[in-house]
Amino acid sequence: MQLSLAGHSLMDRRRFLGNMGGGLAGVALLDLLKQQSQADQKQPIRPSIDSQHPLASRQPHFAPKAKRVLHIFCSGACSQLDTWDYKPELIKRHGQPMPTNSKLVTFQGENGALNQSPYAFKQRGQSGKFTSDLLPQLGELVDEMCFIHSLTSKTNTHGPGETYANTGFTLEGFPSAGAWVTYALGSQNQNLPAFVAIPDPRGVPQVGPANWSNGFLPAVFQGTAFNAISSIPHLQPPRSVSKSDDEAARDLLKRLNEEHLKERPGDTALSARIASYELAARLQLSAPEVAELGQESVITQKAYGIDSPNKFLAGFARNCLLARRLLERGVRYVQLFNGAYAMGEGVGNWDGHKQLKKDYDRHGPILDQPAAALLKDLKARGMLDDTLVIWATEFGRMPTFQKGAQGRDHNPDGFTAWLAGAGVKKAFSYGATDEFGYKAVEKVTTIYDFYATILHLLGLDHERLSYYHNGIERRLTDVHGHVIHDILS
Amino acid sequence: MRLLSLSILLISFAGIYSQDGIFRDSIASLLQTKCLRCHSGSTPKGELDLSSERSLREGGSSGKVIAMDGKKSLLLEMIEQRKMPPKDKLTDAEIEAFRKWIQSGSKWNGPALEPKSTDATPKRAGKDWWSLQPIRRSALPATRNSGWIRQPIDTFILNKLESNGLGTAPEADRRTYLRRVKFDLLGLPPTPEEITQFQADTAPDAYEKLIDRLLASPHYGERWGRHWLDVVRFAESHGYETNELRRSAWPYRDWVIRAFNEDKPFARFVQEQLAGDVVAAGDIQNEVATGFLVAGTHDVVGNATPEGMAQQRQDDLYDMVSATGSTFLGLTVNCARCHDHKFDPITQREYYGLQAVFAGTQHNTRRIDDPVLSKKLKSLEQETKPLASQLSKLEGKTSLIGKARAQMNTESFPAIEARYVRMTIVETERHDEPCIDEMEIYEGDTNVALSSKGAKASASSAFPDASIHRIVHLNDGQVGNSHSWISNEQGKGWAQIELPQNCKIDRIVWGRDRLRQFADRLPSKYRFEASLDGKTWTLLCTDQDRLHRQVPAALANEVEAQKELQKKLQALTTEAEALRSQLQVYCGSFKSPEKVYLLKRGDPMQKLEEVAPLAIASVGVPWNLSVSASDKERRLALANWIASPANPLPARVMVNRLWHYHFGTGLVNTPSDFGFNGGKPSHPELLDWLAAEYQHNGGRMKPLHKMIVLSATYRQASTTTEKVRTDAEKVDADNRLLWRFPRRRLEAEILRDSILAISGNLDLRMGGPGYDLWKYSNYVVVFEPREPTPADTFRRMVYQFKPRTQQDKTFGAFDCPDGTLTMPRRNTSTTALQALNLLNSEFMLDQSGRLAERLEKEAGSDPSRAIEHGFMLALGRKPKGQELETSLAVVRQHGLPVFCRALLNTNELIFID
Repeated sequence: MQLSLAGHSLMDRRRFLGNMGGGLAGVALLDLLKQQSQADQKQPIRPSIDSQHPLASRQPHFAPKAKRVLHIFCSGACSQLDTWDYKPELIKRHGQPMPTNSKLVTFQGENGALNQSPYAFKQRGQSGKFTSDLLPQLGELVDEMCFIHSLTSKTNTHGPGETYANTGFTLEGFPSAGAWVTYALGSQNQNLPAFVAIPDPRGVPQVGPANWSNGFLPAVFQGTAFNAISSIPHLQPPRSVSKSDDEAARDLLKRLNEEHLKERPGDTALSARIASYELAARLQLSAPEVAELGQESVITQKAYGIDSPNKFLAGFARNCLLARRLLERGVRYVQLFNGAYAMGEGVGNWDGHKQLKKDYDRHGPILDQPAAALLKDLKARGMLDDTLVIWATEFGRMPTFQKGAQGRDHNPDGFTAWLAGAGVKKAFSYGATDEFGYKAVEKVTTIYDFYATILHLLGLDHERLSYYHNGIERRLTDVHGHVIHDILS
Repeated sequence: MRLLSLSILLISFAGIYSQDGIFRDSIASLLQTKCLRCHSGSTPKGELDLSSERSLREGGSSGKVIAMDGKKSLLLEMIEQRKMPPKDKLTDAEIEAFRKWIQSGSKWNGPALEPKSTDATPKRAGKDWWSLQPIRRSALPATRNSGWIRQPIDTFILNKLESNGLGTAPEADRRTYLRRVKFDLLGLPPTPEEITQFQADTAPDAYEKLIDRLLASPHYGERWGRHWLDVVRFAESHGYETNELRRSAWPYRDWVIRAFNEDKPFARFVQEQLAGDVVAAGDIQNEVATGFLVAGTHDVVGNATPEGMAQQRQDDLYDMVSATGSTFLGLTVNCARCHDHKFDPITQREYYGLQAVFAGTQHNTRRIDDPVLSKKLKSLEQETKPLASQLSKLEGKTSLIGKARAQMNTESFPAIEARYVRMTIVETERHDEPCIDEMEIYEGDTNVALSSKGAKASASSAFPDASIHRIVHLNDGQVGNSHSWISNEQGKGWAQIELPQNCKIDRIVWGRDRLRQFADRLPSKYRFEASLDGKTWTLLCTDQDRLHRQVPAALANEVEAQKELQKKLQALTTEAEALRSQLQVYCGSFKSPEKVYLLKRGDPMQKLEEVAPLAIASVGVPWNLSVSASDKERRLALANWIASPANPLPARVMVNRLWHYHFGTGLVNTPSDFGFNGGKPSHPELLDWLAAEYQHNGGRMKPLHKMIVLSATYRQASTTTEKVRTDAEKVDADNRLLWRFPRRRLEAEILRDSILAISGNLDLRMGGPGYDLWKYSNYVVVFEPREPTPADTFRRMVYQFKPRTQQDKTFGAFDCPDGTLTMPRRNTSTTALQALNLLNSEFMLDQSGRLAERLEKEAGSDPSRAIEHGFMLALGRKPKGQELETSLAVVRQHGLPVFCRALLNTNELIFID
């Protein structure tokens, strides 16, 4: 009779946070019956999550190079050809049609001639890597960077492109990289969220919260969105609630909850909820503290550009400084968004279809100084040794200008991202696009490879970090991905 | 020589096999069982496909595998050297058979072969997988403690507990039971009166009466309909980049609620959702059930590339196949999009066969022909017209004064001769780019600014790439956001009209959106100037003038009348909108099916052969249609296959969902996956018994609900003795065997509904368009919360307008599905953000205050009475001595709202025993 239960259910080992009501000391009936049929497959490694402290720091699968992640995401598809991917041939053949077999039709329609970047390329750093004048200060840091010039996307549309770049799926509803990492590793700071998404001062990116979604992972692994201007929602009671009233309510709540728990011993879901109010109280102290940028020296503030008369630059600078302060305090995954959708195509993000130079003249400076200052600051503080920095965007742009326009259309077939810091080669370039920067031709890289590598740097095997949802062991890398060993230091 | 040897071969085999025989008798089956798992399908290994004669002759990446003369054959070499198949080796006799077949010319006497992916192996399910077997109602098992049993289902539970050496928990008291079952069936807390009444009801059928009453309540459908909406990924926007709103998707939500309330038989329930337009043609209430098909995401971003367009359509169809498979069959059919299912007996061809069923289904609103509603709408529109024109006349008069309004403003000044008129905007209300829908300049009663009369508009800048916001719209005579100008400068810009000739003007009328849809981008600081030469300018008026203009006494009445009219008009407009959304419903539109092809690796650009509609062969009774079958036939055939009692999956899946929501975990703990990767039933006989009972009841839910909630299993307490608990946890910590009732947290929606009910503010109006928590900007959909939360949002949360990825700011954090993927089972996570939301959100503080008012009003000024009443309302019990004392101290020192704030945050309110 008993064995008709057999075979398991994987679900029983995949215990959700809330299902831990029985306590960790207990044993799941079906746990005892291991499923041997999958013995020769890579078994998932499930993080053991303490319901009282779901964000407690957890061991990775193997010794990591990076302990935390800074992920700068440029929304709107930042052109590789006007930033990092130097193509002399494009300059030489400026104004000529691109040699293709058929009419070149991309996302918005027909394309015109090949067009060199309006920004000049220069050699920078010791390594002499060519980068453009659009981002001169970041360009000066090329010796820290490890470029991947051969990234590819599966879609040429922003919405699916952004979810693909941040969750590994073109469909919405999947957990973002930050959610996966905090699910696996928890956080080193129990008083702040483990995964912070910092929206651009201009607004949220194209698919908004889908970029930092927990998908089907427990909500505790969702990115908490706040930036230097707007703090965590509901962090403090409104001013109409006095401090003593606030304390009285919370004290009464605590007593009622403890009384309630006493009659229901051993229910960890109840005590976890009591603990969540304590964490909330700690968050109320630590979140404002981390956002107090005034604690930084004037020199630091200026270096980031907080004093800039350009309010968007100053705003992004504040976000960058906030990011450093979060990382410094042990927050596991900080994702900085650069570019916002609400203002329309190209106006507030990197989607330069029609007037690329006009758009990028605005966007370049907003990104450049603050992000460069952040990178330098991390290096100066020794944090690059165990922090992985990612700079990425959803896809690239065409080497041609759109027919009748002064900008570039979407191009998922070849674009650039870079990594820096813990565990990656410095002053290194991996993969390449063709002579015009149109298609990745050398060491073609997918988002799956990209994330397989990032997880690897964090000490995680991307094939074993999985979560059962709706019939499938889901992974950040779906069923694909290879670690790019060539870029590891 | 060659001829000779060949003829010898032929002769020597003639006795054993005929030429035809060798293929049919052994090779076909050998290929199927030993080769095709790798060498067939859309991505055969080594690009060698051995499933058809043509592909066999074509060979693979190493070239031809069979030479024409039958002599040299790579295939035979690999087989003879025992390199192939690599694992499941061939016997000598089998190798001999291959040798004979190949050397005799490898004749293919039969159709193309399918791999036997329906065979079970230790790594995958086959046709013999448990959930695909016919439903078998077994006899009730024997139990020792038979006195405990109240319902047949109890025997299965008790039997398993006993065989594991476990006992049961004591029975829950009436108060606990009432609270549990009311939350479970209706999602609402019991009222103090209900509690008293039930506790006092000594009739032997008190429990049964209670359950009959609850199941008859229309709120049952709201509660259980919400569960269904989780499963079918219902939401009210497209998702993705634009996330466009679906204002008329709610009729499907209402259909779901009605279907549960009516306890619609399963067959009908399925038929209407897949083919309501066929089985309920002309019956709009039920036609809208096809909203199921298009409840998912839909990428509408224009894409000029053929790959992009094809991919979008494939994604839409994928969503439909995936939702249908997981919802009704509990199978992850979607996994077979790019290849045969890796774990379940579903081929890639079957995936596309199901896709063919939906090949005529489009994401769109559908016109519903309903003469009654249409007539009603027409008469409403007729009623609205005179009121609107009356209002605009009044507005013309009153729009002279007060802060600039989004709809319309009139500026008046002493008559002046002008050729040029310029409006310079120096600030907008929200520091966004200003918008003007039309600028009218009057000479007497004539608008002289119209471009049709030769006037020319110019401006400082224009919003880029927006065809609806161009400079020429300033004076094109068309109003509304879609014919407006927006500058490209935040908070500023100027717009100028050059009149056709010098005119004596005395009045300017302008607005941001005269159609009243948008109120953003409104100029708040501006000036109007006039000029004869375009160089020297005379100031006409500024925004300040509006503030200082006095209301002429004669206008006072009109201001009042205008307010009245506006209110009336608003009500009429809302009503008309609601009617319109019933006549243009987002429930899919249907056309003749497009061709569907098997796609290599699921890539829409790599079409293989055309596929006709067909079912999954390993499930129930197979069927297929020809490629010429109509759209309606296809969907109806699928619905009937799902509804057929011969299909064992749907009934099992449905009763398991029922169990899942009653007990927190299903008998199969993966409610939408009954395949190889899903859970196995904890009580397989019970699952089948329930499924049989469900089918026997004609696929109705309510009799099963009744049986379950009246069972001894369900009536157990959630707390048991320390000893029973520690013993049980050693064996079954997850309580899958139900040695006590599982305590559960309220879902986001029920939590919000309950708080409103407790504070006395729950608005129980059912149905119709949902309430909206958001305000929207016009360029793209950006969601900003409406605050403070208006009282028109105090309906049950199932009626909350639900755009994808946008969560309720207070309750979304409680694992509320965001509508992007199906959510057959919700997480219950506990986070600090949930705590902050319940403590500090404006909604919660408002409700604490409202509850305090209610307590004062209903319990009088004695704080002890107020506290007692609060406990009764929120927790369904009186406070204990210590609780009362602690609460009293708080109330005395800090007031009732502080007590209420604590009470509404308690674990006891959120966790149901």
